[in-house]
Amino acid sequence: MSETFDLSLFWEYRLVLWRGLEVNALVFVLSLVLGLVLGLVACLVRLAPWKGLARAGGAYVELCRATPEYVALIWFHNVAPFLVGWATGIRINFNPIVSATLALGIVASGYFAESFRAGIQAVPRGHVEAARALGMGSMLTFVRIVLPQAFRTMTPELMSQSIGLLKTSTLVSVIAVPDIMYQVQMVSQQEMKAMPLYTGAAISFFVLIFVLTSLVERAGLGTRREA
Amino acid sequence: MDFLTRAIIANIPNLLAGIRVTTEICLISFAVAAAAGFVVCLLRLYGGPLRWLARLWIDFGRNTPIFVQLMWVSYAWIDLIGWPKDFFTAAWIALALQSSGYLAETFRAGIEGVDRGQVEAARSLGMGGVTAFRRIVLPQALLAMAPSFVNQFVVVVKCSTLVSVVTVPDLMYQALRLASIWNDPVEILSLVALLYIVFILAIASGLKRACDRLRASFA
Amino acid sequence: MDALLRVVDLQKSFGDTPVLKGISFDLPKGTVLSIIGASGSGKSTLLRCVNLLEIPSAGEIHFRGAPVEFRKSHDGSLRLPAAAAANTLRRRIGMVFQQFNLWPHMTVEGNVMEAPRRVAGLTKAEARDKARAYLDKVGLLLFAGRYPARLSGGQQQRVAIARALAMEPDILLFDEATSSLDPELTGEVLKVMRTLAAEGTTMIVVTHEMAFARDVSDRILFLHDGAIEEDGPPARVFAQPQSERCRRFLTEFVR
Repeated sequence: MSETFDLSLFWEYRLVLWRGLEVNALVFVLSLVLGLVLGLVACLVRLAPWKGLARAGGAYVELCRATPEYVALIWFHNVAPFLVGWATGIRINFNPIVSATLALGIVASGYFAESFRAGIQAVPRGHVEAARALGMGSMLTFVRIVLPQAFRTMTPELMSQSIGLLKTSTLVSVIAVPDIMYQVQMVSQQEMKAMPLYTGAAISFFVLIFVLTSLVERAGLGTRREA
Repeated sequence: MDFLTRAIIANIPNLLAGIRVTTEICLISFAVAAAAGFVVCLLRLYGGPLRWLARLWIDFGRNTPIFVQLMWVSYAWIDLIGWPKDFFTAAWIALALQSSGYLAETFRAGIEGVDRGQVEAARSLGMGGVTAFRRIVLPQALLAMAPSFVNQFVVVVKCSTLVSVVTVPDLMYQALRLASIWNDPVEILSLVALLYIVFILAIASGLKRACDRLRASFA
Repeated sequence: MDALLRVVDLQKSFGDTPVLKGISFDLPKGTVLSIIGASGSGKSTLLRCVNLLEIPSAGEIHFRGAPVEFRKSHDGSLRLPAAAAANTLRRRIGMVFQQFNLWPHMTVEGNVMEAPRRVAGLTKAEARDKARAYLDKVGLLLFAGRYPARLSGGQQQRVAIARALAMEPDILLFDEATSSLDPELTGEVLKVMRTLAAEGTTMIVVTHEMAFARDVSDRILFLHDGAIEEDGPPARVFAQPQSERCRRFLTEFVR
């Protein structure tokens, strides 16, 4: 080891690092909300009785799931503003946080949509039939019988997808969102010491996500999204 | 044909070079991840007092964001252990580190999923433990694991786009380079995004179909 | 006549629960021993101990006059003999399982060839000849190239018998070989077992098929709660059981 593990560095830059973490949290929460909303919409569209619509929903989900998050980030930051400008005639630039939210939220919505769908389809058909046999309408059946059960099965799955999103949200420094990894890179360059901060970041994220994953796994097994 | 379209065509060799690097990174890191995952899985199952080491490896690989791992391996390992000396190596190590954790767990699920009776039948004929593992357990486990392998390979391809951040000249790197040279990202970035999506959809569905056919052949 | 297999005071516990409480019997060459009894009486455990799939807690097993050399752990409990010795014994004692346990990734022929090739060290051609001979014997030569999933339960069990026979064992163990088959499929398996018995194969059969046990066995053991409750030739055991439990068990099973 050519460097000692210098903890004072963390203390010296604690404010910057903390601000970075706050930005992480902001991006995570924004894209989580966007992802959940879009995911629910995509899931409902996908389950729609009209075939063409359902297929479009399926294609959207497939597209999201086949898109590398990094590619999405770069595209939304660099290309999307041009397209919006071209369509509206107004030249705009996206704030990096906006680009990050859009990219991560939209990609995540594909995974969330699948979690929603799995939960809804896991409800036994007999339960729906029982409700219909009692004269409940399809909307009432969905709200009163299907959703509550589906919610229980999909919660752990949604939780682990959210953890996946949290992991992906560390990426946003590549489009100059001043998040924790961005600050780590800045400080490392300034101090000419790469080892302590990167090692510290790796260990901290490992502990954080390991704890969260363990909590989710204890709450019920969900399959994870690897990212 | 406008200027950019011509420029893209003129730069096809660069893009092909990028695709080649992407392919290399993906194949190397997946092969290393599979081998390491298998060893870690054996350690986890049969390692006795060393099991905790396997647990740590698996948990670290799976619970650390790939970007953090990539930066850590690329910039910190050289000071920690004096290796790797170049970013290409660092890139496949980071990707393999992550996937080996997932693949170790895939191996474990596959091995533990093989019915006990399968091994008992082999043992009752006098077959040794290692032979029974190699001839009876492993083939069945691999067959059961094939879809998870496909999923993980897709993950590797998606994560491989990140290596451009540490200046490994993969497809994404080439695209970003051209976008900045031309000061016009729209076409080239859209093209490359599309390439990735099509490529990922193709390998996912192609490999999945191959898996299904393989499994159907034993029924 | 010297016994091919001699079991002396065999005991087995799972944790604190005793499953076998001192079982002794001799198995002369060329005879069929049937073990009957209610589920949970220890029949299958006894059979699995003979093939060392379970390690007895205490007692002796002698095969061809030589004792199985269990190793002892520090607390006095028995452990598996050295791997080579255990495998040698298992080679000589074949086993047919309730769940067939055919290997789904190998063809029928591959299943039967596997042990002759990997354990007995035959060449591929020799193993194939042997496999074909035994598949013919159980009437399934035509199915040699199929995968087990394509076979009925009865056919799978016959393949499993051929697989055990291909090692040409001195003793064949049947662990409820027909219990997981649909009633209409048990006949074909029992027929093969009857043929083997008629040819003088030494067999231990754990079964619920009382007609089979009565017709084919040279000796019956009725197990209750891990101990031998009734022991004798089928004619006597079925006609005049000494034990009240055995009598009640038989009246329930034999219509």
